[in-house]
Amino acid sequence: MEDSEYWNPFLETLPPEKIRSLQLEKFQRIFRWTYDHSRFHRSLYERAGIRPEDIRSFDDIRHVPTVEKSMMRDIQRKAPFPYGDALCVPLEEVTEFRQTSGTTGQPVYQPDTWQDWEWWAECWAFILWAQGYRPSDRVFIPFGYNVFVAFWAGHYGAEKIGCEVVPGGVLDTKARILKIQELRPTAMMATPTYVLGMADTARNKMGLNPAEMSIEKITCAGEPGASIPTTKRRMEQAWGAKAYDHAGATEIGAWSFECTAQPGGLHVNEAFFLVEIVDVDTGELIEDPGKKGKMVITAFDRVAQPCVRFDSKDIIEWAEETCPCGRTFRLIKGGVIGRADDITKVKGVLLAPSAIEEVVRGIDGLADEYEVVVEKRGDMDHITLKVELLPGRESAKEKIEAELKDQLRLKTNLGYHLEFHEYGTLPRYEVKARRFKDMRKGH
Amino acid sequence: MHTMPVDSEAKEIARLIDELKKTALEIHEKFRSVPAARRNTARILASIKMLELNFSDLLALDES
Repeated sequence: MEDSEYWNPFLETLPPEKIRSLQLEKFQRIFRWTYDHSRFHRSLYERAGIRPEDIRSFDDIRHVPTVEKSMMRDIQRKAPFPYGDALCVPLEEVTEFRQTSGTTGQPVYQPDTWQDWEWWAECWAFILWAQGYRPSDRVFIPFGYNVFVAFWAGHYGAEKIGCEVVPGGVLDTKARILKIQELRPTAMMATPTYVLGMADTARNKMGLNPAEMSIEKITCAGEPGASIPTTKRRMEQAWGAKAYDHAGATEIGAWSFECTAQPGGLHVNEAFFLVEIVDVDTGELIEDPGKKGKMVITAFDRVAQPCVRFDSKDIIEWAEETCPCGRTFRLIKGGVIGRADDITKVKGVLLAPSAIEEVVRGIDGLADEYEVVVEKRGDMDHITLKVELLPGRESAKEKIEAELKDQLRLKTNLGYHLEFHEYGTLPRYEVKARRFKDMRKGH
Repeated sequence: MHTMPVDSEAKEIARLIDELKKTALEIHEKFRSVPAARRNTARILASIKMLELNFSDLLALDES
């Protein structure tokens, strides 16, 4: 099977109607498990008057109450400590602790059994195989291994498919670049921010060209950048490598991935997850391509702290096209576009931070870093965009500024106060970047 | 779009998964007091579960 282009050719090429049947069966199974073992979920479902035998069709699934991150925060830090009432297994069966990053509030703890951890690695095996990883690859992971799940699972997934994995944990950026030179890994996993940051350090602080190093493919996580065309292009040009996106979350799992066909979207692993898209305002199900909504997701096979109809707040849309790779798993167009929490109204216009990133990274002469600050001045919203010129491009500032203003107006329908900062002075991030700051009351 | 039917190959994989599981479960249950037997088979059973997710679930669907 190692010659197969698919990790599992049976599942990944199932006819769509068969995928739907499998999903319904698997939803029934995880719903029953959750109902029987989680006091938190059972209480939620009893209040809604739904029992396992009521789930007979996809329409029935739509009536199952969704779970939000805030609900998980409320039940945790209580017995069985620290997970609370959603824990479905005895504490002694928990082998893994992870937590969310806390970007949107108090972190949520995530327990996993060893079977859950195998499942995480299995999800990543689908991802990595689809991105061309094979046992002959040496994979470098420049990641500060800690309580966050991100590349722990990528590490175990790479091992599962037979790659040699080099953990680049407690090293600084320069040391990591030297390690790449020393060991010649063929692949790397990092956030888009860090992929660009490493390239910047190599070029500007070490006099090295990352495109001449050994990296052939890069798997990104943590931010939407690898699905933003201009950011992807910058990463690919900097490293002379293919950059692939994937989307996952601590409380969900690794649920989608880009394949080597780079179809402009991510495949949902529909054998392991049920993705529903609902209208942000009305909650109506969106089944047709071309309309954005927020994702409600179920992980079929995660048992310690299940993820059943979790309101992820990720904004996505189904793609019209099928993928030339032959996988029948549906595509979401352009990856995760943003989070419902981040897509905010400014001056009455909906603004997605990813749209600003696409503009900034598409302009020759601007460095990779930027920061957006939204403030209230009187009754008016005011947006400041801070950018850096690349060294040696100072004389082109006026032309760059004019292009930036035009493109921002075109792509976001908004006007900005632009601040040009000295190269290297805006914050640099290793994990999740926080470049969008909404200082208005209530944000 | 080329799809792969659930054919005799998948059925054969699913049958062998069943055999593996029986053996692992037998060791897991019979030698409860021997940590090296109990914990290693627990890990094997987790891996077997991944095989079931990949193959046996699909076959069960075909047979239902």
